[in-house]
Amino acid sequence: MFRKILSPFARLFEFHARTHYRTERHSMALTLGIIVAAGVGGFVEIAPLFTIDETVEAAPDMRLYTPLEQAGRDIYIREGCYACHSQMIRTLQDEVDRYGPYSLAVESQYDHPMLWGSKRTGPDLARLGNKYSDDWHVRHLVDPRAVVPESVMPQYAFLLDRTLETESLPDRLAALRAVGVPYSDEQIDNADADARGQARPDTDAADGVSKRYGDATSVRHFDGQRDRVTEMDALVAYLQILGGLTDAAFANQPPGED
Amino acid sequence: MMERLTGAERQIALMICVVMAIVGLVMAAAGRGDPMGSHGAIVLIAAGIVTCFVLRAIGEPEPAEDRTTSYYDDPTKAGLVIALFWAVVGMGMGVWVAAQLAWPDLRFDAAWSSFGRIRPVHTSGVIFGFGGNALIATSYHVMQRTSRARLAGHVSPWFVLLGFNLFCIVAASGYLMGVTQSKEYAEPEWYADIWLVIVWVVYFVLYIRTLARRNEPHIYVANWYYLAFILVVAILHIVNNLAVPASLTGAKSYSAFAGVQDAMTQWWYGHNAVAFFLTAGFLGMLYYFLPKRAERPIYSYRLSILSFWGIVFFYIWAGSHHLHYTALPQWVQTLGMTFSVMLLVPSWASAGNALMTLNGAWHKVRDDATLRFMMVAAVFYGLSTFEGSFMAVRAVNSLSHYTDWTVGHVHAGAMGWVALITFGSIYSVVPLLWKRETMYSWKLVEWHFWLALAGTVIYVFAMWNSGIVQGLMWRTYTDSGTLAYSFTDTLVAMHPYYVARACGGALFLTGAILAAYNVYMTIRHAPEKRPERDYPTSSEATEPAVPAAE
Amino acid sequence: MSVKERDPLTGHQTTGHEWNGITELNTRVPRAVWFFIIVTHIWALVYWVLMPAWPLVNTFTRGLLGIDQQVQVDKRVAAADATRSLWADRIAALSLDEIRDDPVLVSHVDQTAPALFGDNCAACHGSRAEGGPGYPSLVDDAWLWGGDDETILETLRVGINAPHPDTRYAEMPAFGRDGMLDRDQIRVVAGYVQSLAGLHSGAPPERLEEGAALFADNCASCHGEDGTGMHDLGAPNLTDSHWIYGGSDEALFETIYGGRQGWMPAWENRLTEAQRKMLAIYITSLADEGPE
Ligand code: HEC
Ligand code: HEC
Ligand code: HEC
Ligand code: HEM
Ligand code: HEM
Ligand SMILES: [Ca+2]
Ligand SMILES: [Ca+2]
Ligand SMILES: [Cu+2]
Repeated sequence: MFRKILSPFARLFEFHARTHYRTERHSMALTLGIIVAAGVGGFVEIAPLFTIDETVEAAPDMRLYTPLEQAGRDIYIREGCYACHSQMIRTLQDEVDRYGPYSLAVESQYDHPMLWGSKRTGPDLARLGNKYSDDWHVRHLVDPRAVVPESVMPQYAFLLDRTLETESLPDRLAALRAVGVPYSDEQIDNADADARGQARPDTDAADGVSKRYGDATSVRHFDGQRDRVTEMDALVAYLQILGGLTDAAFANQPPGED
Repeated sequence: MMERLTGAERQIALMICVVMAIVGLVMAAAGRGDPMGSHGAIVLIAAGIVTCFVLRAIGEPEPAEDRTTSYYDDPTKAGLVIALFWAVVGMGMGVWVAAQLAWPDLRFDAAWSSFGRIRPVHTSGVIFGFGGNALIATSYHVMQRTSRARLAGHVSPWFVLLGFNLFCIVAASGYLMGVTQSKEYAEPEWYADIWLVIVWVVYFVLYIRTLARRNEPHIYVANWYYLAFILVVAILHIVNNLAVPASLTGAKSYSAFAGVQDAMTQWWYGHNAVAFFLTAGFLGMLYYFLPKRAERPIYSYRLSILSFWGIVFFYIWAGSHHLHYTALPQWVQTLGMTFSVMLLVPSWASAGNALMTLNGAWHKVRDDATLRFMMVAAVFYGLSTFEGSFMAVRAVNSLSHYTDWTVGHVHAGAMGWVALITFGSIYSVVPLLWKRETMYSWKLVEWHFWLALAGTVIYVFAMWNSGIVQGLMWRTYTDSGTLAYSFTDTLVAMHPYYVARACGGALFLTGAILAAYNVYMTIRHAPEKRPERDYPTSSEATEPAVPAAE
Repeated sequence: MSVKERDPLTGHQTTGHEWNGITELNTRVPRAVWFFIIVTHIWALVYWVLMPAWPLVNTFTRGLLGIDQQVQVDKRVAAADATRSLWADRIAALSLDEIRDDPVLVSHVDQTAPALFGDNCAACHGSRAEGGPGYPSLVDDAWLWGGDDETILETLRVGINAPHPDTRYAEMPAFGRDGMLDRDQIRVVAGYVQSLAGLHSGAPPERLEEGAALFADNCASCHGEDGTGMHDLGAPNLTDSHWIYGGSDEALFETIYGGRQGWMPAWENRLTEAQRKMLAIYITSLADEGPE
């Protein structure tokens, strides 16, 4: 019975094996065969993600990263935080209970690259924004084990001493626009000043930030140092906006546990 | 090493060095104050060193012998030595990375030594430095032997090997400086990516041209795998690394894709880096060195065909199993999961084909640690692909994802399969290449085998435990229906496993150091022996009739 | 080389090739391989029919079961909410004292609160709520805003200096930076504060008198004439031995020079009312046990 089911397949394979025997003498045939066989899957899985509209939800309230937050994101990447922290709450009950509403595609719509992560040595950070104070973040980054004795996270005290490099921010925002983030000319031109203004509420530059990125933007001394803008300012500003670019995820899901 | 180049070839080599030096200089000047400047300096120095080598040979007499009567093994030899160097560096980094998770203060008070920066030095160091060099070196060896033809070129093999290592050095030094695109296994920045494309195209052309010279009508299975490795890695690399640099004088760039599309592209790449770098390439190694060492015919040609095309076709679809339950649309997850499961059959077919090939040679497996390396590698290959297909099932992945279970799976594949098959191949090819009777010490090979096996087993068991414990703790509910453990509770539970893993890794590293020592001593001190019949024969083999299955 | 040989061991025929000594047998693909190919393919086919699977240009096949991971988890979370609400609703409705009197509810609190505290509060207040530099202990009986249940619950809901419309504001002014006191005056008043707390400040009596005067002028409005603090303002008692930021010379100087503005997050949007109540019961029970 089993043999019967198999026999047409066996004949097909026999034919295939013989054809193969002839074609495996031609390196270009092999090359072509490999490209075709390996090409299909990727195309079928990736291309439709650009054409099927419902892949990315609509979020009219979606806002962009400010230059300071983007600079912080670049530091997050530079330090390899993604090696330990995910930013992707999966559609599983325990993750929703622990971290909040599951992540939507639209929330990382402007993330070039995405930082969903593949390992949770530390907790997920997708909804971290406003969960802790700036001060806590600074202390924690300076010495994680001073606040969480069980932590295995590295110390990043040097961020407090490093002045944030902001001159390249207009270029960076322009590159982001080139890949699809809708920054305006004005936002790009003022990126340098805006980055510093967001961490210096006492300066004139601060007004520009609220004007260009909305009144809800946090303008604070993120690192607690009033007279300078450091890499710590940028990183903390970024951490405090995580999950705060849009409320879309909260719209269709009940908040929190219970 | 360059004496076997003709005068014209030496000049070409010199020209390439000069061009590289200029590129390095321009990068160093334009990228001042940015890590790109340091990379320019590295390129400049590398070009300088190679120039010295070429210049030393430039006055030497031209090679007298007829070069087509022998194989060109110098680049292979260099590649193997470099691979061993990277093995020690990359695994040393692995042990350090592991130690930091057990004892987080075991580092310098400097930015470069933090976990996030040295972890990719480990992953790239072992995958690209160790694995990549071993693949390039053995592919040179295998394609010449199975084609009975000398490499099609003398400069290009060096260009590929050294160019690839330049990529590795730029990558590793970049991570320490914080230069990364954050895409796992594709972290190097845009200029390194472009450079790798150039190197890879030359590699492909070299491969295809050597195949074209062959004196065998048929292309051996090992070469199918090497070819798939070269081709598909090129496609993956180019697409996943599409990015726009913030400026041409700086390292920073932004991925062309964002969010969900970026995630899918990244794991289409990431999974198939596993498939075509860590699997296809090493299957090429397995298919040559295992039957060679066992002196047994491949168990089944037909099974080879089935598993090869199965692997090439099915693997590509499986990438989305890295994104189960995420914001990636569920239909893609379904495809990733089903194809991963269908993939199991060709995977096991290739592992089975290798193990069945050993039928009639099991006494050799018992006595010969080198062959045992390859046998155990095939077993771990079967094991990790089974585990992979299992973890690709959504329900299982909901537990394993984000935990150390993944890390355990990775190392069952990476240590048990990739590293063991490589060491087995190195031990069987080194005496041949350096024309030695045997390895310097078979006892050290034996020691290495047991250290590697023990290290792998300890590592993998520790991570299975820690992964499953952590995954379960995350999802444990109390009778009240509320979460039972906080995240910090799980950290405390992980600690003993992290210590065990660091110990297992240290054993494995010790083995790798023994291997490097043994190879060094073999080159230096083992008695010489001329191998019989290791040269190209140009007589065109005749074509056997199409065989029928029995 | 082109002669098909038979392998003496297995009796199988080779394909007739040899590559540098390697030959291949032409063995049939074992039956088991075909079997598993068929099984896995059939399974995949069934799965594709039932679940969302294949992309079409603008849409995809949804599968006969009509399953969607987001809808599924929404349902699961809602179902779990419903089960929990059997007791959680009562917790939300009752006062803390009433809950403490109900052993069933207390057992739910005991099971739930430690992990909840660990995931949300321990980062600042420590795993046993013992506090740390900059973060108050919740187990001593020194309360900034008063230790009664209502106050604690309100603090949890709105936070302190947090981005919440009703948040509590607690501001220790920056007397030094904002030029209200000079450095010497700060040292003097700091010495006085140390003496209030019974710490040995080593300051001569006339300096203490000067300090008392400065304190009465600048500080008493918030910390009270006697320095015992004011719950309405969240101004701490300076006469006890419980410090948030520390009672050393340097810590006090920094506090008075630069001011303090502790940031306690608002939990209204992150935690439900029942969760906040469980936490309040948990920390007050720890407080009753006292610091370890
Ligand atoms: C070695 C792994 C590791 C690296 C690298 C790492 N972290 Fe962590 N992180 C942890 C662990 C473990 C915890 C949980 C314990 C703790 O709170 O410190 C954590 C906790 C955190 C938290 C608190 C999250 C919460 O909800 O309680 C934040 C915020 C954070 N990390 C940010 C970062 C940033 C930013 C970086 C990079 C600059 C980083 N981490 C790098 C391991 C790491
Ligand atoms: C970002 C750090 C942080 C986190 C997280 C945090 N707190 Fe606080 N909490 C503080 C600070 C700082 C204060 C003191 C505010 C001040 O100085 O005025 C405080 C004050 C309090 C108070 C008032 C104490 C008093 O003396 O009146 C209570 C009660 C409290 N926290 C409970 C909690 C609970 C319960 C949680 C978890 C749900 C929590 N806290 C999470 C920082 C934090
Ligand atoms: C506007 C009201 C106000 C005035 C005036 C004020 N304080 Fe405070 N003080 C506070 C508040 C509110 C806090 C708690 C701040 C926090 O925890 O974030 C505080 C905290 C402190 C602390 C820290 C206590 C600890 O546990 O570490 C000290 C010390 C202190 N004040 C001393 C003084 C002195 C001395 C003066 C006068 C020079 C003064 N305060 C004037 C409101 C005030
Ligand atoms: C001496 C032996 C080794 C040790 C101690 C070691 C240790 C580690 C550690 C600690 C990590 C990080 C895991 C984490 O983030 O939690 C890691 C990751 C990794 N290692 Fe190794 N490793 C070793 C050998 C190898 C080898 C030989 C390879 C490949 C050929 C390899 C490939 C990888 C890969 C691909 C990852 C990334 C895994 C992931 O992201 O899930 N390792 N290793
Ligand atoms: C049939 C073959 C295989 C399948 C189906 C498979 C499947 C998987 C799955 C499901 C994951 C976990 C993804 C996640 O949850 O994040 C994974 C991770 C991984 N696997 Fe495999 N695997 C296979 C073979 C191998 C082999 C042979 C290796 C060899 C080294 C390997 C290396 C890796 C690596 C490096 C990762 C970690 C990726 C990351 O950084 O997250 N896999 N694999
Ligand atoms: Ca990973
Ligand atoms: Ca790259
Ligand atoms: Cu995979």
